[in-house]
Amino acid sequence: MTTLAIYSNKGGVGKTAAAVNLSYLAAQTGAKTLLCDLDPQSSATYYFRIKPKLRSGAKGFIKGGKQVYKSVKGTDYENLDLLPADFSLRNLDITFDKLRRSKQRLKKILKPFKDQYDIIILDCPVTISILAENILNAVDLTLVPLIPTTLSVRTYRQLLTFCKKNQYAVNRIYTFFSMVDRHKKMHKELMAAMAGEFNGILQSPIPYLAQIEKMGIYREPVAVFSPRSVASKAYQNLWFRVQETILSPGRSDSL
Amino acid sequence: MLKNLKYNLPDGYDEKQFMRKLADQYTLKKEPAIAERFIFFDSFDWRLFNKSLVLYGSGNKLFLRKPAKSEIIHTIEINSLPVFIWDFPDGELKRHLAPIIKMRALLKLAEVYFRSTPYRVLNRDEKTVARLVYEDLRLSGAEDAPTLGSHLWLNPIKGYAKHSRILVQRLAAAGLTIPNKEEMFYKALAFEDKKPGSYSAKVNVQLDPDMRSDEAAKVILRFLLHVIRINETNMEEDLDTEFVHDYRVAIRRTRSALGQIQYVFPAKTTDRFKKDFAFVGKLSNELRDLDVYLLNEADYKAMLPAALRDDIDPLFDHLRKKRSKAFQKVISGLKSKKYEKILEDWEAFLNKPRPDDSAAPNAELPIIDLACKRIYKKYRSVVKAGNLILENAEDEMLHVLRIHCKKLRYLMEFFSSLFSRKKINVLIEQLKKLQDNLGDFNDLCVQEEYLLNITKELPTTHGQLKKTLVAIGSLIGTLGRERQMVKDAFAETFTDFASPENKELFQELFTSKAKKKVS
Repeated sequence: MTTLAIYSNKGGVGKTAAAVNLSYLAAQTGAKTLLCDLDPQSSATYYFRIKPKLRSGAKGFIKGGKQVYKSVKGTDYENLDLLPADFSLRNLDITFDKLRRSKQRLKKILKPFKDQYDIIILDCPVTISILAENILNAVDLTLVPLIPTTLSVRTYRQLLTFCKKNQYAVNRIYTFFSMVDRHKKMHKELMAAMAGEFNGILQSPIPYLAQIEKMGIYREPVAVFSPRSVASKAYQNLWFRVQETILSPGRSDSL
Repeated sequence: MLKNLKYNLPDGYDEKQFMRKLADQYTLKKEPAIAERFIFFDSFDWRLFNKSLVLYGSGNKLFLRKPAKSEIIHTIEINSLPVFIWDFPDGELKRHLAPIIKMRALLKLAEVYFRSTPYRVLNRDEKTVARLVYEDLRLSGAEDAPTLGSHLWLNPIKGYAKHSRILVQRLAAAGLTIPNKEEMFYKALAFEDKKPGSYSAKVNVQLDPDMRSDEAAKVILRFLLHVIRINETNMEEDLDTEFVHDYRVAIRRTRSALGQIQYVFPAKTTDRFKKDFAFVGKLSNELRDLDVYLLNEADYKAMLPAALRDDIDPLFDHLRKKRSKAFQKVISGLKSKKYEKILEDWEAFLNKPRPDDSAAPNAELPIIDLACKRIYKKYRSVVKAGNLILENAEDEMLHVLRIHCKKLRYLMEFFSSLFSRKKINVLIEQLKKLQDNLGDFNDLCVQEEYLLNITKELPTTHGQLKKTLVAIGSLIGTLGRERQMVKDAFAETFTDFASPENKELFQELFTSKAKKKVS
């Protein structure tokens, strides 16, 4: 069992699109997959045409156990289930903060799922507070989508500094370039420069494509409504890269 | 967790009509139909069926499950259909099946063609809330192939139980019923006119205690002839080694029955067929010996030090060549006039109505009396011979005891239907342990001698010959040490068999003295 967070401390970088497509591709390999939509905006939930509602709301969620399991919905695809988002999750930060062992709460909530699923993917909201620490504690690996822009790179540096300061293993954080515009010179230059600066960059960028934005219209993963598109292939390549570099048995053994 | 539900569709039921009715509440979306072919496997003697297992392949996968259960015990991916256990990729399925099918070949029993058409049941958000799968099963891919049944599956989706409940109500209202657990495997076999479990090499005859002994003997011998004939026809295809083995055991049992169920047929007849079956048995001696060596190839190699393991290969190459010659010899033997005449005469004799008065002294004796007498007498000879060995363990005497035991075992198996099954099985189990010990000892003696003699046959032109001889020498040494260990274990094994408890049970079952006491 592996838990993977799709996380960023910056908004609008393509987290949800990556989470939805990667979890779909994981399920297609036959792995029992759970996608947890932790973002109160509930975009991932929307993409799967599922109502953004948790039984007993955030309260039930924090309790964990049966209530959370009952909230899980089967998607339209084999082997893929979804834990829907709920608007009440917007206060998760504050709620966690009030509790004992406040940084381990999410880990505890997800524990019962570890026997049920081969892979759990978290679609995370933008955060770098106590919720971020809950995420880092709950998962085996973190995958950060990165737009090759100055601001995006700056935010990523902030994340790494934060992790080092709070003693979260930086070598469990991976990144891939997202929303890449091949025509922009700056994108190209930044991608080249960063290869020298950071470790753990998966060499499989996701281009900026209209096809990906159309997910909101079709409410399906790209690979479903447009299986032969460039977008679909890009996610497929990213998934291969994730499998071979992050999820390969050799790697997870060493964790 | 929600379960998938299966509904029977009566002949000619229009599932589309039901789907149309559902459209008032749900949107239905038809998905592409999937065609699949399932192939069911078992060994000739139904080893998987006897263990309540169903093995079948579909696409590039192989599945194992229990009959009438949908949960799969093991699944593996395969590149080609395995025939023998050693063709399977290493893993749980292989480990599960190995002790069951052993050296037997898996045969294709039946094929079933599935055609399933899934429909997604959508809510207002066009989210799938359940699946309905229409399924049609046929015996071939052709449109007009005989159908084995059609079903409608309701597959609920987690988190949408409410919708499934509504669908269950609507299916019930449409008059559809959930069938009892059924097994496609049996249905397909019935269509192919194959009866699971119909073949077993074990003696399975039902005798009446008051039956005349000559009649009873013929019942047993007819059963054995049936086994001989079945395996004979399959031997030529050479699918696995066990057709020859079962064939030989049936021949041996026939010879034993002729010798041990004494004086039930005219002496001339018994003498003639004893000789005939001795001849028939000899036809396949060499083939079986070679089969055993080749089946044990891996075990022999494991006995050798790693450095010598590959050096023994020329020996097995030589044995393989010999085996294919021996096989051809057996096949032409089976086609010879002499062989055909023996079996035809034998069959005619067994099917001939019994004479009203027979010259044979035991012919009219109730079989229960003869069975008791023969079994008890044989038991006494086993004990006597064994006791002699305890005093003085000569190899030759162990051989004699082994033959006595074999005769006793066959007698007990022929007549087991006349006695308490539980009690006689206890004694057969006890006897088996002794036989295993004696059998191992004999096998090791024979193997040592065989290996010693085979060295003369190995091609001298072979560059590796010297190395091969060293390997064979090492093997003989290991076999010799093992033989001594087996021999050392004899005393305890025999003493267990000859225990007072077993003696009492033998007396209870097979002597009239004890019987009178019981009645």
